[in-house]
Amino acid sequence: MTEHDDTRYERMLAAYRDGLRPPGDEVRQRVMTELAGRRQGAAERAWWRWFVQPHTVRVRPMLAAAALVIVVGLSASVSQLLVDGNGAAIPDGTVLVQFELEFPQAETVALAGSFNDWNDSATQFTRHEGSGVWSVTIPLPPGRHEYLFVVNGEQWVPDPRAHAAVDDGFGNLNSMIVVGPRGVVRS
Amino acid sequence: MKRMWALAIAMTVLGQAAVAQDGDVVSRLRAAGADPQFAERVGEIVTAARDEGLPTGPIEEKAIEGWAKRHRVPPERVTAVLEQVRLRLREAHQIMVESRVELRERHGETVAAAAEALGRNMTREQVRELVQAAPTPEAAAAGLTVAASLVAQGLEAGAAVYAVRTQLRAGGPPERVYELPSAMADMRARGATLSDVAGQIMQGGGLPMPGGAGAGAGTGSGPNRPSVLPPSRNPTDPAGQPGGNQQPGGQGKKNQGGNG
Repeated sequence: MTEHDDTRYERMLAAYRDGLRPPGDEVRQRVMTELAGRRQGAAERAWWRWFVQPHTVRVRPMLAAAALVIVVGLSASVSQLLVDGNGAAIPDGTVLVQFELEFPQAETVALAGSFNDWNDSATQFTRHEGSGVWSVTIPLPPGRHEYLFVVNGEQWVPDPRAHAAVDDGFGNLNSMIVVGPRGVVRS
Repeated sequence: MKRMWALAIAMTVLGQAAVAQDGDVVSRLRAAGADPQFAERVGEIVTAARDEGLPTGPIEEKAIEGWAKRHRVPPERVTAVLEQVRLRLREAHQIMVESRVELRERHGETVAAAAEALGRNMTREQVRELVQAAPTPEAAAAGLTVAASLVAQGLEAGAAVYAVRTQLRAGGPPERVYELPSAMADMRARGATLSDVAGQIMQGGGLPMPGGAGAGAGTGSGPNRPSVLPPSRNPTDPAGQPGGNQQPGGQGKKNQGGNG
């Protein structure tokens, strides 16, 4: 071993001893602060793990059955509303058809026909402001439809702009239109 | 918990009420407050039709209409009309059997449309001709419905059959034939007489379909977009004049819509 080697060995040993010494307060505080920050970030990111990890769920059968009944009832009611909603929703395979009537003296106007079981109050017209014109737009499937306007809840009135007025078999006339895939044109 | 169950029961009742609307006609009539004897009589007619293999839809719809008009139509008149509808359905069914047309699952719809055509004074031969010209039962039902409607619009039955047959042979979706009544209304609104319309059809010109080449105002609208024309200030068309009902205080308007 040469003198040069001895000096080199002493220098390495000193460096090793320095490494074994505990770090100073400043270094320790800096490291601990950084570690605390990393723990907090990891905790914030771990919220989604709740959804992918298995959990034990306690269920009261009576409560679950009641909830199921509510869901089924709601879905039935909502589906009815979608169909009956005066054109609010447009079911597949239907086209929007507008009905209009000029009747300034009317208080209410409704549409009754083969498409709504001749219900004289289910499909109400809206009055155009400042005029005697009433209208309603509803979705109808392509095909032939018979109907009448019901004025003030009691007066059944035909649509002068229908495709035709046809015998209803009961001694009166129904209005008739045939709705095509792209709508209906009236005279 | 009690509140939860009360809510659940209420929702069930509401759901059942919604489903009841699609129930049989007797239940629907009773639910609407119809006289029990009337409802029972309607049920007997419907059952008799079903036992004959006839579609019952047209009878049920007419019964509902008759009940809705109860303030003007006595129950015995309604049931008499229902019997007439059943007889027409039977005649239409007989035509299908004689024509040896394979109708399969759409049989009822086609029979109902044929009965409607017979009710509009179309002959058995004309009904048979349209059924045999149609490529499918669905097309036959649509064609018969449209032919009957064209006749109701004032067109001579022979011209109506010719127009529908031409359209069916042109191919395309069967629903396309439903545009013929609008095409005729469009022509009439432009001043064409019934003779003009019939003449154009019989000379092979057919009816200018709404939205097709040469069609102008009153054509269909773009897809998925309701379209409404501004109200027309023209006088009413004689073809659409009502006869037996009360007259309105004003007049109807030009209407159109379509969402493709």
